Amino acid sequence: MVKLLGGVVLGLLIAVGVAFSMMDKLMFKETPSPYGMEETIARIQHNIQNTGNGWALSGLRNAAKAVQNDGGNVLPVMMIEACSTKYSKPILKEDTVRFLSILMPCKISVYKKQDGKVYIGTMNAGLMGRMFGPLVGDVMAQVAEDQKKFLVFDPNTPAPQMILPSAPAAGAQGGGGGGGGC
Amino acid sequence: MIHFLRGALLASLTSMLLALPAGASSDPQPAPAGEAAKRTSSSTADHGRFTALQQNFKSGPDVTRACLTCHTEAAKQVHKSKHWTWEFLNPATNQRLGKKHVINNFCTAVPSNYEFCTACHVGYGWKDQHFDFAAQENVDCLVCHDTTGTYRKIPGLAGHPTYKDMEFPPKSGKMVKAPDLGNVARNVGKTGRQNCGACHFYGGGGDAVKHGDLDSSLRNPGRYLDVHMDKDGLNFSCGECHKTTGHDVPGGRYAVTVLEKDGAHMRGKKDANPASCQACHGGPPHKGPRADRLNSHTAKLACQTCHIPEFARAQPTKMMWDWSTAGKMDKDGKPFKLKDSAGHDAYDSKKGDFKYESNVIPTYVWFNGQVDYTLRETKLDPSRVIEINHFNGSPDDGKSKIWPIKRFVGKQPYDVGNNQLLVFNTYGQNDTAFWTNFNWDKAIEFGMKEIGAEYSGKYAFVSTEMSWPITHMVAPKEDALACKQCHTAPGRLDQVPGIYLPGRHGNPLLDTAGWGLAGLTLLGVLGHGAGRIFASRKAKPGHGHHG
Repeated sequence: MVKLLGGVVLGLLIAVGVAFSMMDKLMFKETPSPYGMEETIARIQHNIQNTGNGWALSGLRNAAKAVQNDGGNVLPVMMIEACSTKYSKPILKEDTVRFLSILMPCKISVYKKQDGKVYIGTMNAGLMGRMFGPLVGDVMAQVAEDQKKFLVFDPNTPAPQMILPSAPAAGAQGGGGGGGGC
Repeated sequence: MIHFLRGALLASLTSMLLALPAGASSDPQPAPAGEAAKRTSSSTADHGRFTALQQNFKSGPDVTRACLTCHTEAAKQVHKSKHWTWEFLNPATNQRLGKKHVINNFCTAVPSNYEFCTACHVGYGWKDQHFDFAAQENVDCLVCHDTTGTYRKIPGLAGHPTYKDMEFPPKSGKMVKAPDLGNVARNVGKTGRQNCGACHFYGGGGDAVKHGDLDSSLRNPGRYLDVHMDKDGLNFSCGECHKTTGHDVPGGRYAVTVLEKDGAHMRGKKDANPASCQACHGGPPHKGPRADRLNSHTAKLACQTCHIPEFARAQPTKMMWDWSTAGKMDKDGKPFKLKDSAGHDAYDSKKGDFKYESNVIPTYVWFNGQVDYTLRETKLDPSRVIEINHFNGSPDDGKSKIWPIKRFVGKQPYDVGNNQLLVFNTYGQNDTAFWTNFNWDKAIEFGMKEIGAEYSGKYAFVSTEMSWPITHMVAPKEDALACKQCHTAPGRLDQVPGIYLPGRHGNPLLDTAGWGLAGLTLLGVLGHGAGRIFASRKAKPGHGHHG
C-alpha cells in the first residue's frame, strides 16, 4: 500500500514538474516574423481592424522607450493593444470574473531579439480561458480564433502604414488612440 | 491554478513595467543659438563688437573676406583639410580617395552633380570642375562656426546659402529663409554638434541615411544613445574627441586607427589619433573585479564591438538602395513615392527602392584599419556582389581587431563593356539629369563625359555592398554586450572566422569523449556502490543487524 501511494505521489510530482516546465510554452507563444518591426506591427494592426467582431486598436506602446528615458537600452519591444467589446462586455459584467480585466486589452507583442530577427509574442487565450469556467472559456475560445487571424500575413499585399496612436496616454509613451472599446 | 497564478503574475508585472513614467518621445529642440552661445562661451572675443563684421554682407565670400582680416591663416589651413579638398591619398594603398573620387552605393558620385553635392562642402561656388581651390574667400567659415542655427546651405546652390527666401525642396511649399549673414557673422563661435551634424547627420541624402551611428538624434541625445554626448551628462561636442588643430579634424573612415598601442593620448602628442577610445581610456580600460577578464578581450576586440551593441537606436537608417528600379512612373506618367510602414520612403522614382531598419545588430569583421576601395577604374566581376570597400584584416596578422560595421547593400549602374562602375548625372535642370528626365542613357553619358572617362554605351546594374565602421552611439557600460551574447550558439560573432569561443564552439569528438568518460565514471560509482551494498548484505545472513 505504501509502495502504491508512493508511486502515485511520485507520478503526481513528475506530472506537476513537467507541466511547470512547459507552462511558458503552453501559455505564451512566440512566432518569428518574416518582416521588420514596423511592417510586422502595421500588418497586425490592419489585420485586427479587418477581423470584424468589434475589434479595434486601443494602443501601441513602446516598452523600450521607458528604459531609454531611464538612460538604458533594450532592443525594441512594441505592444499592440486591441479590444472588442463583444468579448470584453460579458466578462466585465460578471462579478466573479471581473478581475480578468487585468488581462485587458488584448496584447500582441512585437520585438527584436539578439539574432536580429523580429518575433511576435501572443498569449494562448483559449487555454487560459478554460481555467475560468464556461463563460470565460467560451469567450476566450472565440478570442483565440480571432487572434489567429491577426497573424495571417499576405506577402502579396504591399506593406501598410503603421497606425500611430492619435493621442498620447498618460504614463506611457505611445498609448491611447485607436478608439478601442475597453 | 498554477497556470493562472503564473499568468496573472506575468500580466501584473507587465502592467507595472508599462506604468513606468516615460518622458518626451522626441529630442528637445536645440537651444536658440547665438544668445545661448554667448552665455556659455568662454571665448575672449565678442565677435559682435568687431568692426569688420558691422556690415550687411551680400554673400558668403564677403563674410569670409571679413573673417580673414583677423584670422589671416585660417583659409590656408582649411585648404589643406579633407573638408576642403574632398580628397585623401591613402598612404597604405596609394588609392586616391575622398568624395571627389570615390563612387559609393548611395548617391554614388559627386562629378556632374557638383551644385547639389557641394551643399556639404566647406566652400562657396563649387559648381563644376573649374572650381578655384586656391581662392581664400571661397572658404565657408560660417557653416562650421555659426551659432545662430539660421545658416543653411541648400543643395543646388553650389555650397552657397540662399541669399533670398526660397522654396525648398522645390514645389514642397516649404520656405527656407535667407540667413542674415551679418547677424550670423557677429555670432560665430566654437564648432558644435549642430555644425558638424548639418552634413554628417544627413549623409547619403537624408537624416540617418548613411552612417547608422550618426544622425540628428545626436544633436541632444539621451544617455542611452551616447554616454559621451548625453545632454544631461558629459555633453561632449564632436570636437571633444575629434580634437582639431589648425582646422585639421582627426579621425575618419579612410584610415581608421584600429590598434592603438600608445595608451592614453598626451597633450602635445602629435603621432596618435585623439579620436580613438584609447586616447582617453588608455590601453587596459576596464577596472573593478572583472577587469582582468574584460581587459584580456581588448587584444582582439575593438571597444566598439561590445560598447555599441546596436546602431540606429533612435531612428532607422537606410540599409538598402536599389537604383535598378528607379525611373518608374505612375499611371499619369509622373514620378511617385511609396512609403514603408514607418513612413519612410520605400520607393522613389528618382532613386529606386529603399529599406530602412532601426536597432540594427552590426555585422562583425576582422579589421586592421586598411580599406581597399573599388574605384571607378577598378575592373569588376559583375557576377559577384561588388565590395565598394573591403575592410582588410585577419585573426592572424597581429594588427586586426573584430569591429562592428554597418553593411549597406544596393544595386547601381556599371559599364557592361568595360566592367567598371559608372558615374551618372542625377541633379540639374539640364536634359541629362536623371532626376529631371529619368533617362539612364543620357545621365550616364553626361556623367562619364564630365570625368573624361570611356563609356561603352551599354549599362546594367550590379549588386554592391559597402561597409561603414560603427564608432558613435556608445551605450552606457551596463548596456555593453554581455558574455552570453557571444559565448553562445547562435551568438553575435558566428560569422567571424578564426576564433574559438568557449560556450559556442565544440569539438564533437572531444565532447563525446568527455561525456563518455563522465558516463563511465557514473557507471563505475553506481556499480561500485551497488557492489558494496550487495557484498554487505551477503555478509549478513537474514539481513539483520548485529548491533
